[in-house]
Amino acid sequence: MGERTRERVLAAAAALERLADRPLKFMEVCGTHTVSVYRSGLRSLFPEGLSLVSGPGCPVCVTAQEEIDSLIRLSAMEKVIVATYGDMLRVPGSSTSLAEARSSGASVRIVLSAAEALALAMDTPNRIVVFAGVGFETTAPATAAVVLQAARQNVENFLVLNLHKTVPAVLETLASDPELALDGFLLPGHVSTILGLSPYLPIPEKYNLACVVAGFEPDQIMAGITLLALQKRSGVFSVQCAYREAVRPTGNPHARELLETVFEESDSNWRGLGLLPRSGLRFRSAYSAFDARIRLGISDVPAREPAGCRCGDVLAGRISPFGCPLFARACSPETPVGPCMVSSEGSCSAAYRYGRGEPS
Amino acid sequence: MKPISLSQGSGGRQSQRLVSAILEATGETPDFPLEDCAFLEKGLAMTIDGYTVSPLSFPGGHIGKLAVCGTLNDLACRGARPLFLALGVIAEEGFDEDELLGYLGDAAGICRQIGVRIVTGDTKVVPKGQLDRLVLTTAGIGKSSLPKTLGIQSIRAGDSLLLTGPIGLHGATIAALRYGLESEGLASDCAPLWETIEGILDFDGLRAIRDCTRGGLATVLCEWAESSGLGMEIEEAAVCVPAPVASVCDLLGFDPFHLACEGCMLIAVSPEETEPVLDRLRQSKYGEFASRIGIVTEKHPRWVTLNTRFGGSRILDMPVGEILPRIC
Amino acid sequence: MCLAVPHVLVEITGPCTAIGRAGTIEVEIRTDLLEGARPGDRVLVHAGFAIEKLQPEEATEIEALWEEIRALSGTRQNG
Repeated sequence: MGERTRERVLAAAAALERLADRPLKFMEVCGTHTVSVYRSGLRSLFPEGLSLVSGPGCPVCVTAQEEIDSLIRLSAMEKVIVATYGDMLRVPGSSTSLAEARSSGASVRIVLSAAEALALAMDTPNRIVVFAGVGFETTAPATAAVVLQAARQNVENFLVLNLHKTVPAVLETLASDPELALDGFLLPGHVSTILGLSPYLPIPEKYNLACVVAGFEPDQIMAGITLLALQKRSGVFSVQCAYREAVRPTGNPHARELLETVFEESDSNWRGLGLLPRSGLRFRSAYSAFDARIRLGISDVPAREPAGCRCGDVLAGRISPFGCPLFARACSPETPVGPCMVSSEGSCSAAYRYGRGEPS
Repeated sequence: MKPISLSQGSGGRQSQRLVSAILEATGETPDFPLEDCAFLEKGLAMTIDGYTVSPLSFPGGHIGKLAVCGTLNDLACRGARPLFLALGVIAEEGFDEDELLGYLGDAAGICRQIGVRIVTGDTKVVPKGQLDRLVLTTAGIGKSSLPKTLGIQSIRAGDSLLLTGPIGLHGATIAALRYGLESEGLASDCAPLWETIEGILDFDGLRAIRDCTRGGLATVLCEWAESSGLGMEIEEAAVCVPAPVASVCDLLGFDPFHLACEGCMLIAVSPEETEPVLDRLRQSKYGEFASRIGIVTEKHPRWVTLNTRFGGSRILDMPVGEILPRIC
Repeated sequence: MCLAVPHVLVEITGPCTAIGRAGTIEVEIRTDLLEGARPGDRVLVHAGFAIEKLQPEEATEIEALWEEIRALSGTRQNG
């Protein structure tokens, strides 16, 4: 298995060497791709002409500073337990992080699933459990499923701080950015598992950009990039799927149905990108009883992003982590300034952990 | 007020910072680089370690076994035969005495097995709620009769890096219990390593030994690289990650290189003596799966690089703070 | 963006729950997002929820893609 993967990776690297006879610039949208590319050392195999820039595909990283602050404020409220995926713990808010809040006595529990957060609420009826609902279309249906369960079982002490965001609209923003001048997108595998392929169709049609959905194994990623380069060379652009095992053209309609029962499309505030239309989810009024913002009277307080931090530009692919003046100086995983350095799939964190000293 | 965070107790760089701050506050100037035990005079070596683990008992061991193995291994890794142990017990009011005695009985058995005497101790009980059940502290004294000192300062470019066993077993065992996963065949590798080490001490080419505890293999490699000013180059395919560890890592999003081992060591040895040392290790009790995983190099000073199974290469770094499960 | 791990469904334990096996681990997962989960199904699990049934890929189709890439690279696999 390992040997076959290696042979494929090296074959694709050689193919890309030939295809990159002129500069190619692709964006991997998904943070799990970012990490996989670094961890498997694929960057060291890219030809000089190929650049792969990281996009806004780390849900922790794109969560706005205001939203992180709201979560931290909730954790300090009496009777509240914040239940969160481990990813959110160390993200710096304006003045502190959940991890630091926990050190100072806030109730913060790490859960592996939204279902665990609901179970926690049912086990602790005297407390209010606020689940940090972070993530894209892959993760949001699970939040919807537990909200539906909580509604069925009349669990009143389970709330969600909804931080969910959606992918397709932001891709169009990036596709139309002249400064970015992309040649194509390596599309996220597991978001596509839910969405299918149709939401991406405008990108090749309207913007003449290559689009390939890829899996996460090193050979799958290399195949995806090679297909992007082939589309670019042929000048015929489409949405190709190189991850058929997990992505059906129509996605997972049942998961989308649950999602759409509980949530509806809304504008959303992205770190670094600002308020983007149709890029987030909000509770439908029928389920607003589960909305932590409404029930606990929390609203996001405008916050300034830390001075000098260029996470926003990194997320938009405008600069690489190495292009930020704080990178590996004032900002490191131990003393992160922005979220891209703290999330394990943040592009700055990945570049710091796996990429420094690279030959590129 | 500067609250100490959990991250500062998880190995890796944030722990290093706290240690530096403590050194500064005490005004002590120990010999650098910092190692797991200190040499006093005439080959006498001393070390101390505190142990907390949740849960207290786990497949492959418990806090008592951990407390003696950890301290004895810290002596052994510098070539000092462990001789004496001091044992401090702090128990929470209400903790089960029989459970405590069970742990300590096993611990004493391990000491007897390798000829170590527990010569002094202390017990404290604190009011309920002030402590999570039980904390053990062990201090050890050992003696080295080697003509040279094993340690980071002896490592040379060109040396081979050997690993005595599979990685991540202890860390994955604890993480699986903590997050409610049952992984078949998963047990801590917690073990006393003196006999394994004693078997190779006669090799002149032996440079340094370190057990890969908190922070895992990656942390030891990074510490060696940073303290020696040399680079370390590792072959990913040569490092054994057992299937149950890989499964835990897949589900929780962990890197096995960051997970603690309690019975596995990294050894630096001269190129000439690599094969004979490996042969000897493979015949020893805890070295059956010893392998050469990389070399010390001048190519990239202070950095650890990993040649991946897929033909690429990347930096290997320490974990940052508490290792957290992730969905992303 | 989203880590997901293939599991094999070992047992359906309720209308929305199942035991799934990934490597050496058996763990309870939620099947709310699937329709008609059955023991033996290979599913992709993200954050404790099965998000899709994995379909066996056409080996010949994948191999054809790799042959195309090898042809481009000028390397050919023997056998």
